[in-house]
Formats: sequence, C-alpha cells, structure tokens
Amino acid sequence: MKLRRLALVAALLAGQPALAHHSFATFDLATELTLVGTIKEVQFTSPHVWLQVLVPSARRGQTEWSIEAGAPGMLLRTGWKSTTLKAGDRVTIVTHPARSGAPSGSLVRVTLADGRVFGPGGPPPPQPSRH
Amino acid sequence: MACGSSAISSRTPSIPDIWGVWMGLGGVTDADLRYRNSPFPAPQFTEWGAAESRRLATPITPGECNPWSPVMFMNGGGLFPIQILQGPNVIVILHEAVTQPRRIYMDGRAHPAPDELLPSFLGDSIGRWEGDTLVIDTIGTNGRARPINGYVAGAVTSGVDTAPRLPASDQLHVTERIRLAGGGQYLENEITVDDPKTYLKPWTVKRYWQRRSDIDLQEYACTDNSRRDAEGQEP
Repeated sequence: MKLRRLALVAALLAGQPALAHHSFATFDLATELTLVGTIKEVQFTSPHVWLQVLVPSARRGQTEWSIEAGAPGMLLRTGWKSTTLKAGDRVTIVTHPARSGAPSGSLVRVTLADGRVFGPGGPPPPQPSRH
Repeated sequence: MACGSSAISSRTPSIPDIWGVWMGLGGVTDADLRYRNSPFPAPQFTEWGAAESRRLATPITPGECNPWSPVMFMNGGGLFPIQILQGPNVIVILHEAVTQPRRIYMDGRAHPAPDELLPSFLGDSIGRWEGDTLVIDTIGTNGRARPINGYVAGAVTSGVDTAPRLPASDQLHVTERIRLAGGGQYLENEITVDDPKTYLKPWTVKRYWQRRSDIDLQEYACTDNSRRDAEGQEP
C-alpha cells in the first residue's frame, strides 16, 4: 500500500509543471548526487523544509549539508510527518547539488534506515472522481 | 442590513455551495481530462511588460516571501489548497501559501473611487452571482506581487521553466467566472487578465480545483525560515 502510494506520488511529480513556490535554479537539476550521512537537524518550517545532514568527508572529517525540500504542507500531503526524521537518524539522500559547489542541494528523495523512502513534496494524490 | 426577508430566503437555495477546501489540479497528470488547466497563451507584451518580464526572470526578484497577485493566487497549481469561506455578504478565500486572504465583497457595492482605493497585492474584489456563476471583478493591485506564473524555475522536482514571466502591474483588471462542475466536486474558474500596462490585449485561462474534504490548510509563515531571502541565490 505504502509502495503504491509512493509510486503514485512519483508519477505525479514527474509531470509537475513549473508553477511552484519559487525557483530551484540554484540547483543543478541535471545532476543527482547521493549522500550517506546522519541527520543533524530537521527544520520543518515555512517556506520550505530543510534537512541538515552530516556527511563524512576525507578532508574535513565531516561536512554539514543543507538539503531543501518543499513546503511543510506539501510534505504532510505526500506521506511525511514532522517527526519522520530526527537528529541522529542515518539516511541516504539523493540531491540536486548547488551549482555553486556549496554543500547544499534540493531533495530528490531520502531513504531511512528502515527502508522507507520520502520525496520532496508535491501534489497530493488526487481523489478519484465520484461521478 | 436585515437579511431575513422571505425574498432572500427563497433565493438562498439556488446559490451554489462553494464552501470548503479545494486543491488545484495543475500538474496532476492523471486528473480528469475535463478539468485540466489551459496553458498560458504566448504573451504579447507592451514595451513596459517585456522589460518587467525580464526583470522578474531571476530567482530573487521579487523576494521569496513577496505576496502573490490575485491571478497567481487562483492559478490552481496543484501544490497548495485554497479554502473558500462563503458568507452572504462576503466570500473569503484563503490560500495555504499566501498570508493575505482574498475578500470578495458580495453586498452590491462598487469598487472604491480611485482616490479612495488603497493599492494592495490582491487588489479590491467585488462579486455577484449570475445564475450559477460567481463573477468576481478585481482592480487596485499594487504591481509588486510575484509574476503570475511564479518563478523562473519550476517545482522542487521539475525542470527549469524557461517561459517568460507574466507580470501583473498596478493596472491589472481581473474578471473571474467561477462555477461548480462535475456534480459539485470540481470548481472551474475562467480568468480573464486585462492589464494594458503589461499586455497588448486581454487573455483568458481556465483553472480547475477538486473538492478535498480530506485536506486541511496548514499554517505557512513564509518569513520564518526564508533562507533564500537571507542568503540570496547562493544557498
């Protein structure tokens, strides 16, 4: 059931036109970067939700990444709760990285240790027509 | 004003019930084909409109938390719900991502005289029922809202939107014709944009929402954590 719902959301997001809150041109939408790390902080805030993620790096020990998701209401309507992620959680994140090279990106999807996958928010699944 | 006359009461049942939460169907690829938003027409800009469109074509103008114009408010993009509170003399429309409500005055008043009108992001709206259709007339915008079609790039997961930005100036005049469809489960809004400062001629689009009794609007306090406004284009 969960998988079906996620598949539906993914299908909806694939056709999402450009009528969003604001620009994500800052991020390289053609590139997907995978980060494996630990949640430092979840900012379940407006206008957008941010995940602060500590990722081990060779040079500096670890790097703190800022990962931007959609609006909190969007996330709630696509399966998230404000408590879905908490500090200390191990996560695998796929992100569109910032063009600037800064440790930042927009969320494509996050996979939790228990295998659950959450996206960046988007339209909720439509209600079936009743007529 | 006393509203309990039998004349009013007997007319009340014929007024369509648009109270409730509605979710825009823009971007919902498997939505019923009958209720699919029409695309924006290719804009025919005035000289000022073309320049303003270019000015708005960056991710940071205007600011991330700038309010919306009434047209973007009613654009039915599919990401945020609206909630219609339908009173007898005023209809209030809330939008999850916009702090300001739209107030549609239904008491028969005219727009304020130009020197009495306080320009605002959402403008001054008056409405009336023409049969089953709610007709809303809006003027008095301040021209500082975001473009009608949002920012230069798209949603969280979509590609970059390279279409020209569609400004809404302080000369904006919007006519909306709203009616129920699909047995009351859908809302259709035919929006005509007449903005002679920006466009050479008026243009019209249709926008659709689905009734969603299962959805509540969430709070949206844009300035709470607007890291893009604080940090500019570089996150």
